[in-house]
Amino acid sequence: MIDVGQVLVNSLVTSSIYLLAGIGLTLTIALSRFSNFAYAELVTLGAFFGLFFLGHAGGSLILALLLAFVAVGLASVVSYAFVFQPLVERKSTLIHLMVASIALGFIFRYSIGEAWGWSVLSYQTMWTVYSIGTVKISSLWMIMIATAVLVAVFLHFFLTRTKGGKAIRAIACNPDLAAITGINKQKIIYLVWFCGAGLAAVAGVFRAADTRLFPMMGWEIILPIFATVVLGGIGNFYGLIVAALIIGLVENIGVALLLNFGLSTEYRIALVFLILIVVLIVRPKGLAG
Amino acid sequence: MYLMDTLVFISIFALLSMSLNVEYGYTGLANFGKVAFFMAGAYTYAITISLGLPFYISLIMAALIPALIGGLVSLPALRLREDYLAIVTLAIGEILRIFVKAEQWLTGGVWGIAIPSIFGGLGLSIEMMALANVLFSWGIVIIIFVLLRLIINTPYGRVLLSIREDDIAVKTLGKNPILYKAQAFMLGSAIAGIAGGFFAQYIRYIDPYMFLPLLTFTVWVMLILGGTANHWGAVAGAMIVEMFNRGSRIAKDYLVLPFDPHNVQFILFGILIILFLLYRPYGLFREKPLKTGAEVEILKWQSSSSTK
Repeated sequence: MIDVGQVLVNSLVTSSIYLLAGIGLTLTIALSRFSNFAYAELVTLGAFFGLFFLGHAGGSLILALLLAFVAVGLASVVSYAFVFQPLVERKSTLIHLMVASIALGFIFRYSIGEAWGWSVLSYQTMWTVYSIGTVKISSLWMIMIATAVLVAVFLHFFLTRTKGGKAIRAIACNPDLAAITGINKQKIIYLVWFCGAGLAAVAGVFRAADTRLFPMMGWEIILPIFATVVLGGIGNFYGLIVAALIIGLVENIGVALLLNFGLSTEYRIALVFLILIVVLIVRPKGLAG
Repeated sequence: MYLMDTLVFISIFALLSMSLNVEYGYTGLANFGKVAFFMAGAYTYAITISLGLPFYISLIMAALIPALIGGLVSLPALRLREDYLAIVTLAIGEILRIFVKAEQWLTGGVWGIAIPSIFGGLGLSIEMMALANVLFSWGIVIIIFVLLRLIINTPYGRVLLSIREDDIAVKTLGKNPILYKAQAFMLGSAIAGIAGGFFAQYIRYIDPYMFLPLLTFTVWVMLILGGTANHWGAVAGAMIVEMFNRGSRIAKDYLVLPFDPHNVQFILFGILIILFLLYRPYGLFREKPLKTGAEVEILKWQSSSSTK
């Protein structure tokens, strides 16, 4: 029997990770116009920095989140400056940029493997579990969902009410026109690469706190994140929110259904990939397009 | 023995990187799911041989089934922008691997399948078997190499090249780019499938964990280092990367180092790829201009006019 309440809560938790990790990806693709696969490793890097800062900064989750945000944001900005910026200047093709991003991901991933080893680790923090009827929810899950909602609300106001947010939308919409009106494209791109990667790090810390962490963890969720981004429509922030909710639901309802039909739960992630493929083929502009 | 093993693996990777060359190097299709077709070939071979088919039929099936899958996948996917195609192929690779993992009745699931060697029943010594494998695999490489060179130098091959450069121009000449792309994709998948079939009979046991996306990326490294749109480059790339692989494994086993050579190897690959993309995007071996009949005439005419 499917416990509807529990499935909904689980879905919200999954969705908040995809939303946080997807914001940076969707905005960077909209601005820089290529897919950065190193995003997977930015999530992983965030998780491991989280582990490091939890151990060395008194074990406060909030502090670890902030420090991981800044550290991964910096890593992303540096990688943009030394890898992608020069490639873009040399007019590299889309595929070359993508291969470069995978290569960069390898540098990150194996550096993490070298620094922390390849075994599966965990934060070893206990979270209080509350029961509402039959539905169980931990304090970590509440923090995750609350953070996702706060970030979404903040971004809504940032994108619609501030100069920086409007500049991001302008560049995504028409880079040349945006440059004519005096927007400093370079500055905005760096801002987005920093904050986007920071949010990916937050998603990584949450994912690690909720499950485990290992050097491949980012790679395991990059395709669902891509699915969310594509379903929402590249660069479409509101589409992303809806898409994150849908993908979260699909994954968790999928598990319940697969169990009911006697199929392997391995297919849960295949369902998400299927959505990704179908959306790309049928509606490449996403839900709203 | 170790040398022979290395040679066999180089030949398998040479096939894979040539197959990617057909798709990406010549036709401009970014296939990030290469490993899926390699795996499809390996499993097709394993399953058909367990049904009692002779090895050459199984090997042909190992080319046909991946080609079929490639055809089915490519028809809708090839209309996409190039980076979306890459994401789709990546996702398809993962779906196929999940399928292999989940459907135990067919594939043995995570426990894998054992496969008899082609040269198993002949009563050969271990050394002779290794030699037979080397000769057989390099035989395949040479056949495919020659075939691909022939194909690329026909008008058909030139259509593929022109699709890479500008598929709208190709359309105006009355050729349907989608059709040609699908064929290139199928051809590439078939070659990857043969590589997979041979791989399966060589190592005699396969499971889903042998076919991780890492393999796809290794093939990309080979092609980009070696040089796209040049088959010598593809083979050279396979050789360099596989030697690198072996070297780091030996270093790991016999040297005491303050770091893990395996990690360092992939970090170096990453750096190398980025440097190549920045400073030598066409790889070690550059693409050769095509020798067409017209060009030969022009060269003749030029040399005769300069002597006057």
